[in-house]
Amino acid sequence: MTRVVVDPVTRIEGHLRIEATIEGGKITDAYSSGTMVRGFEKILKDRDPREAWAFVERACGVCTTVHALASVRSVEDALKITVPQNAELVRNLMFCTQYMQDHVVHFYHLHALDWVDVVSALSADPKATSDLAKTLSNWPKTSPGYFSDLQKRLKAFVDSGQLGIFANGYWGHPAYKLPKEVNLIGVAHYLEALEWQKEIVKVHTIFGGKNPHPNYLVGGVPCSFNINDVNAVNTEKLNFVSKLLKDAADFIEQVYIPDLMAIAGFYKDWAAIGGGLKNYMAYGDLPTKGYGDVDSFKFQRGAILDRDLTKVYDVNGRDENEIKEYISHSWYKYEGGDAVGLHPWKGETEFNFTGPKPPYEQLNVEGKYSWLKTPRWKEHPMEVGPLARALVAYAKGNKEVKEVVDEALKKLDVPITALFSTLGRTAARGLETRLIARWARGFFDELITNIRGGDVSTYAKGSWEPANWPSQCEGVGLTEAPRGALAHWIRIKDRKIDNYQLVVPSTWNASPRDPQGNRSAYEESLIGTPVAKNDEPLEIIRTIHSFDPCLACAVH
Amino acid sequence: MENQVPSIWGAMKAKGYSRREFMYFCGVAIAAAGLERSGFGQVVNAFETKPRPPVVWLHFQECTCCSESFIRSSHPIVADVIFDTLSLDYTETLQAAAGTQAEKSLKDTMEKNKGKYILLVEGSVPLLEDGICCTIGGRSALEILKEAAADAAAIVAWGNCASHGCIQAAKPNPTQATPISKLIKKPVINVPGCPPIAEVMTGVVTHLLIFGKPPELDSRGRPKEFYSRRVHDTCYRRPFYDAGLFVENWDDDAARKGYCLYKMGCKGPTTYNACAVTKWNQGLGYPIQAGHGCIGCSEEAFWDQGLYERLPKFPGFGIESTADTVGRTATVVTAAGVGLHAIMSSIRKRKVIEENMDESVNINPPKPGSAMPADSVDEGGDAS
Amino acid sequence: MATATTLPYRRVYVWELPVRVFHWVNAISIVLLAVTGFLIGWPQTIWMSDEPYQQYWFGWVRFIHFAAGYIFFFNLLFRVYWSFVGNEYARWSSYIPHRKEQFLNAWETLKVDILQTKEKGKISVGHNYLAALTYLGLFFVMLFQVVTGFGLYAGMSDAWLPWLFAWIVPLMGGDAWVRQWHHIAMWAFVVFTVIHVYLSFYHDVVEGRGTISAIVGGWKFERDDEFDK
Ligand code: HEM
Ligand code: HEM
Ligand code: NFV
Ligand code: SF4
Ligand code: SF4
Ligand code: F3S
Ligand SMILES: [Mg+2]
Repeated sequence: MTRVVVDPVTRIEGHLRIEATIEGGKITDAYSSGTMVRGFEKILKDRDPREAWAFVERACGVCTTVHALASVRSVEDALKITVPQNAELVRNLMFCTQYMQDHVVHFYHLHALDWVDVVSALSADPKATSDLAKTLSNWPKTSPGYFSDLQKRLKAFVDSGQLGIFANGYWGHPAYKLPKEVNLIGVAHYLEALEWQKEIVKVHTIFGGKNPHPNYLVGGVPCSFNINDVNAVNTEKLNFVSKLLKDAADFIEQVYIPDLMAIAGFYKDWAAIGGGLKNYMAYGDLPTKGYGDVDSFKFQRGAILDRDLTKVYDVNGRDENEIKEYISHSWYKYEGGDAVGLHPWKGETEFNFTGPKPPYEQLNVEGKYSWLKTPRWKEHPMEVGPLARALVAYAKGNKEVKEVVDEALKKLDVPITALFSTLGRTAARGLETRLIARWARGFFDELITNIRGGDVSTYAKGSWEPANWPSQCEGVGLTEAPRGALAHWIRIKDRKIDNYQLVVPSTWNASPRDPQGNRSAYEESLIGTPVAKNDEPLEIIRTIHSFDPCLACAVH
Repeated sequence: MENQVPSIWGAMKAKGYSRREFMYFCGVAIAAAGLERSGFGQVVNAFETKPRPPVVWLHFQECTCCSESFIRSSHPIVADVIFDTLSLDYTETLQAAAGTQAEKSLKDTMEKNKGKYILLVEGSVPLLEDGICCTIGGRSALEILKEAAADAAAIVAWGNCASHGCIQAAKPNPTQATPISKLIKKPVINVPGCPPIAEVMTGVVTHLLIFGKPPELDSRGRPKEFYSRRVHDTCYRRPFYDAGLFVENWDDDAARKGYCLYKMGCKGPTTYNACAVTKWNQGLGYPIQAGHGCIGCSEEAFWDQGLYERLPKFPGFGIESTADTVGRTATVVTAAGVGLHAIMSSIRKRKVIEENMDESVNINPPKPGSAMPADSVDEGGDAS
Repeated sequence: MATATTLPYRRVYVWELPVRVFHWVNAISIVLLAVTGFLIGWPQTIWMSDEPYQQYWFGWVRFIHFAAGYIFFFNLLFRVYWSFVGNEYARWSSYIPHRKEQFLNAWETLKVDILQTKEKGKISVGHNYLAALTYLGLFFVMLFQVVTGFGLYAGMSDAWLPWLFAWIVPLMGGDAWVRQWHHIAMWAFVVFTVIHVYLSFYHDVVEGRGTISAIVGGWKFERDDEFDK
């Protein structure tokens, strides 16, 4: 029995530490710990609710915007503000933009090196690579010359002896299975994706002023439309958005998805590894008839227990018996003791570090061992994220989701149960990106229709002044962040924040166990994972990366 | 709240400045102090001997948005920076290796390039209880920072987190988040912003390479190249400001015409950044251009200044007090006092005034030998 | 009217011309600074036109503020100089109470003015020491406004004078905080002016020694029997 520690887990956002017990080449137990805290929930107390979005947006710069969205929704929920449809559409477009950028960056820059052996790409044949690439899609950059130039650049880089970000990678590890040519395509698209991702975010710049961390606003969106002025979003800016959406759709359809399918084809064994929890939850998002109308959402809301796709349970953020957070293994204390769970409206955030003083070798996993709290839905540990979204939608009979999922399963020739895995998670992320690209076009067209019809309003008039707020109110803002179900709960008292609690996708997935000793998603997913070399944790990071961890988010 | 009462030295002390730094501030009349150049001589040497300067990028208390911003750079594009310009040997966000292997990359770089690597730091360092609020590989952020800084040739603080503590240092700063310049004794190039503009970030690191010397810094360690102007002085909405044409409500007519956002709380007038000139995402725009005021994200303690108020709330008089509520109250109280006094006086001093009235005035001619003539000025006289 | 007593009075030249000039330049510039400063803080909506090229009123407000700021500063510098060369009423030593009787006088004035007890002893010819204390206090507020004002100005100017004060900005934690304090200090002038103008009239009325006219013409009156005591 060996204890393997992976700290830092790299190619993620934030500070994650995994401790795993390995017996006979397999993981038998695992502990997931978030090792950095900033105290957002303490900092937000007593502030102006209208400012909260900017604070919480900084919970994370990778999924930037999603917290801002959850925040403005929570405040609008508390104050009973309904934003104009144009504002909803702009928010949806920013949402879609975020997904496309975030998912592509995750696939190529945070996840790909778990599957793609960069060193092996050096010996690929550019001509064969070109031939292969042409069979994958119509993407224009596939000439032999293109690949041989790239290979030369890579070779010069490696020959310099300065391996930079590739230094000490697990090159040559037996778990790498791709043919050289696929590896070379992977490297090429790593670079192309790096260039492309900085383009799509320009949608945020147009509607929100910058990326990362574009601006949001309680009551609407800050940008204004005026097709008769150069000083607002006008025809030129809308054309720009349109072009960005088109380029994004092309990149996703012709690069991301073909690469995903090609790579997945060689790693079908990973469709049986890393499944973990059997419960999935999604809040749903992308309202088409306003945030108040949950049935109009593109992504559906619901929970699945025990992988039973025939039944989807309702999820209610306001019900104080559904979502609760525990701290029995987290470095916090509750007034009511360590065993209780608190609904976020009643949530408490009081530091109580009981771990070893740094520098330390191992955490005391019997006691508290993480800065994440442990959220539970009706006491069940839930997995959230692209896979959960796909499963909930699939189980609810969402046609569009069913179509892309079935198509992919057929192509890979695997049953639907293949989704309950590391590979399934990674695939679900790509598949929803396809849908997002299509939906974004739809939102854009609707926006144009509205403006053409003379509706340029982007702000719910009269919702700004605190004078007519109730002296006490509470709200919840639910959304689907790229990494899963995200919600913020706010309590407002005398026009100030009385309590503000974030329960974040990575909190659900990366949290320590609950008082009953049940593992959360990361820990559970590692159980049974084969490990070829104890001192090279490639398989561990593969499964962990399939969740796209974000620890700054998770702890906040 | 206490640290905002008038004693500036007290305020500085509360912020962690030393007495020496205080004297420095007081003594320097012209703020354009810059840093000692000598500290950078070795960087230049390093560039001459290595094809690509080795770089260590540390992450502490942050949101990784500075890294995200960095990869948005369009000129130079970030692939060229990572693969042709620098050797990014340690960066948790992008490096292939994890755990032990990642730690080894860090160690190797520092050992093989003693005094020759560039240290880029994203995030603040929490000092609460020996650093329990941020550990990596079981070690505290402070320990890692100190070790990496010791042999670094140049140190850059990315973003508001590393430069000023950013959001986690907002009141009540529960983790004692501290900017790195307060923790290491070497000069630090501060590149504030939440995050900084991508091209500003790549601009700062390539400045060193292209010109063989560090960018000139202002008194707060910021490269003048990007932080010498207020957003307000370069803002394209400035003509509306000077004309007194303001947005009064979100999405009102004025907003749709792009009037100035001053009255919506825009912090452009107190914010030093390149946003209005360099702009964001390949020069496409900046917050104001999309209708939201600048929130001052490159300024120290901007989180405690209010996003939508022109001026920060006035401390010590309840959360809703502004400078003007305090001032107005003082004035009203004073005026009331004066009024009362006038009424009282006209009653109580009536006699005095009547007595005065009864005194007819007789201006005497100066008597010889007595005091000096009343209408001559006492030239050299003492005040006694 | 009761029987008039004839008392001997003498004319005393209290406020020299430079002091009077200072006073009015100072008063006018402070009023301008406070009004324009307040407008800078809370610009009023004056919807004269839609197009910025047709108007520049806010620019002028700021221009007046900065111009008045310069005048105010140099005027103040001059007054500091004059406090070393001017007459006894203008001297530094009559603004900085440092002797016992000066403090006693301030106390006495406080009693007379606030508690409205009957005046004992002689009426000051120059200002009383309570007034001196407030002028001294105000002097520091003036200095503070100069430092913070020019400190802020340095951010938008390449002239050397503002740059002499740029150090205040990092010291106070950034422009926003400097503006905050610069703004709050404005209210000190408002409060001072209310009290000061009132008391000037009050003393003039109660004492009948020409307090008000003195700040225009320079002369006050003093009872002969009180002179030189
Ligand atoms: C009696 C003296 C003064 C008073 C009462 C006064 C008052 C004010 C006020 C109320 C503001 C608005 C602050 C805000 O709300 O942001 C202001 C701004 C300002 N003042 Fe003064 N001020 C005085 C002297 C000065 C002086 C001597 C200068 C030096 C040039 C100066 C320069 C400025 C500057 C640069 C601003 C900011 C203007 C802008 O950025 O548009 N002030 N002042
Ligand atoms: C109607 C308006 C005013 C009148 C009648 C007036 C009258 C006077 C008088 C009589 C003095 C002589 C000091 C004394 O006897 O105590 C004086 C001094 C002074 N006044 Fe005023 N004043 C006026 C407005 C102002 C204003 C608006 C300010 C500035 C906010 C101001 C600032 C000062 C200062 C600083 C002194 C001391 C000057 C020195 O001794 O050099 N005054 N004023
Ligand atoms: N977990 C998480 Fe996020 C996401 N997606 C937010 O809610 O990454 Ni930073
Ligand atoms: S400065 Fe702002 S953007 Fe950068 S890491 Fe800190 S919170 Fe994120
Ligand atoms: S929008 Fe902001 S930065 Fe631009 S001119 Fe107005 S106040 Fe200044
Ligand atoms: S909010 Fe920040 S991005 Fe620029 S315009 Fe203001 S400094
Ligand atoms: Mg929370």
